[in-house]
Amino acid sequence: MPQASAMQKSKKVVILGHFGVGKTSLIRRFVNNQFSDQYKVTIGVHINKKVVTLSAEDSISMILWDLEGTDSLEQVRDAYLLGTHGVLFVFDVTRPSTFQQLNSDLRIVSKKIPERPLLVVGNKKDLVSEEELNKLLLDHNISHDYLTSAKTGDNVEDLFLNLATLLNNDA
Amino acid sequence: MLEDHKKDYSRERQQFVLVDPKGLVLDSSGTLIPIKKGLILNQLHPFFESLETLQRLQDKKFAFYCVHLQFGNHDLITDIDILRKKEGMFIVIHDLTEHYNSYQAVAQARNESIINEELIVLKNAELEERERFKNLFIQNFSHELRNPLMSSMAFTQILSDTSLSAEQQQLLDVLRDSHVHLKLLLEDTLSISMIASGRLVLKNTIFNLQKMLELLSFTYTTRASAKGLQFNFTPDKKIPVFVEGDRLRLYQVLTNLLDNALKYTEKGSVGLSVGFNQQWANKVHLHFAVTDSGPGIPEDKQSTIFETFSQLASPGKQKGTGLGLALVKGLLVLMDSQIVLQSIPGKGATFSFDLGLKIPLQSELQNHLEIGQAATSRKMGNPGRKYKLLLVEDDERVLTVLFKMLMDANQFYIDVLTDGAMVLETVIQNEYDLILMDINLPNTRGDHITKIIRDFPFKNVKQLPIIGMTAYAYDEHMQAYKEAGMNTVLAKPFDKEELLQTIFSLLRP
Repeated sequence: MPQASAMQKSKKVVILGHFGVGKTSLIRRFVNNQFSDQYKVTIGVHINKKVVTLSAEDSISMILWDLEGTDSLEQVRDAYLLGTHGVLFVFDVTRPSTFQQLNSDLRIVSKKIPERPLLVVGNKKDLVSEEELNKLLLDHNISHDYLTSAKTGDNVEDLFLNLATLLNNDA
Repeated sequence: MLEDHKKDYSRERQQFVLVDPKGLVLDSSGTLIPIKKGLILNQLHPFFESLETLQRLQDKKFAFYCVHLQFGNHDLITDIDILRKKEGMFIVIHDLTEHYNSYQAVAQARNESIINEELIVLKNAELEERERFKNLFIQNFSHELRNPLMSSMAFTQILSDTSLSAEQQQLLDVLRDSHVHLKLLLEDTLSISMIASGRLVLKNTIFNLQKMLELLSFTYTTRASAKGLQFNFTPDKKIPVFVEGDRLRLYQVLTNLLDNALKYTEKGSVGLSVGFNQQWANKVHLHFAVTDSGPGIPEDKQSTIFETFSQLASPGKQKGTGLGLALVKGLLVLMDSQIVLQSIPGKGATFSFDLGLKIPLQSELQNHLEIGQAATSRKMGNPGRKYKLLLVEDDERVLTVLFKMLMDANQFYIDVLTDGAMVLETVIQNEYDLILMDINLPNTRGDHITKIIRDFPFKNVKQLPIIGMTAYAYDEHMQAYKEAGMNTVLAKPFDKEELLQTIFSLLRP
């Protein structure tokens, strides 16, 4: 019996956040299942692709735009954001400077990329205890969607799979 | 000729690609990327998958800077211009790998430096928080210890005034010794914590140095003799009688060094020598040395024994808290001095330091002596007169002890309150000579009540002498209580003599 051919959509995802929060590491973990402790600054944009199978009939080709981290999201070049379908905003749970302005950062993201699925991710969760993490999130009143560790891989697959589902539903 | 060079240069650094609306490559020039006519562009690199979206937009030109393109092992960093043309899209790829690589190195250094700085700030904040927590713990812990210690000390004193057998008296002496030791430990712990948090401030006053040294000599001759040791005291004859410095802290340094020497010496001698280095301007420079014939300190331990909780640990033979030498080091640093250790294992040790102490001017000394005489004459009050005191204390044990101490003096009528909220009403309705008041009271704090009293319009109330009592003995607390209007503050634990002396120093004869 002939199989139904999978319907594949291509979706552009931009990964935003301050520098050094682990955006590149999250993508490397998701795309290549690799991790390096060595920090290499991203300049400009790296573009990766991974096909995510959602069901026997459905898969999504995620085009992941790994953007250079900046002190302010206002500095992100608009050209990079053209045609974006979904956004990951990443902060580093060990560095308050990356989430202290979270709400205003998210407002900028929503202004630049309106009405697109957006997931907020606290990365490097392996570096703090659960107790510290809960206190930190409570103290800074942070609403997040995922807490991940690119180093251990914790929650990384779930994060991208969830985003793929949202993108699929958003189509 | 020039055109050829231009073409060669351009071929190596730029690539021009023309694609139709479906992304099919119509033409390509240059060799940067293996793009050939007839290929589908978005299959070559995920960047080009965005072309489809761009075609739906109205803009005529799009510029993408610093785009990383990987083809096999070949990595390029490029600027890409995309222009709308009638055939589809015209794409210009500029190879700027070299330029961006140098920028990358700068960005790497900048970001690393910012992140490291942030992490250092966080680490420091964490260390400060830990230190703050530790000091708060010590502060609260010492506070909790002070009230029971005070009761215990006072009851021991009361007990010793009753008729006891010789054996009971001896047991009581042991108990009294333990109290003194416990009180000293408490003071040392608090001092260490204050030094660590930078809150210990030296209080320089004029004091009789020779008298202090004689007291030390007497005390340690007795203690050394009890252990079968000889005590050698060798003061230089040129040591001045009166100097200006922090007597309490110098005493703390010397007693800690002498205690340490006695503790570790099993035979031979312990000694204190005070040498005269020089006198210059109005400062005398002295050399203090505490020597012992104990086991000495191994070379590898000599740098660590001044750390907090450090001891020369031999199994089963730990003695003391390990705070003494750390305290000595910290106090001497505050005094602009430094502890020096010389030791040969098996042959004893010498701890020494140089100290500069101010010599008071004759007028200052005269003034100091007059104040001292006046205080002594007021020491025991007017025996023919009874004073009315208001005692405010909520701790039942401390209250009992204080009440007993005051009653035994037979010079007071005492009213007692345990609730801060009752104080104001009581002082308005009664005439008191003095208020003795705890700081931490239920409902209202003692220093707050004092502030209100000092703002009263009635002179007899407003000027009432108030003595505060506190188990929070940090300098800044004491200062704050005095600023609130308390005449003086007694740090718990204190004994009967200290209490009565303080009361009579404030009472009118």
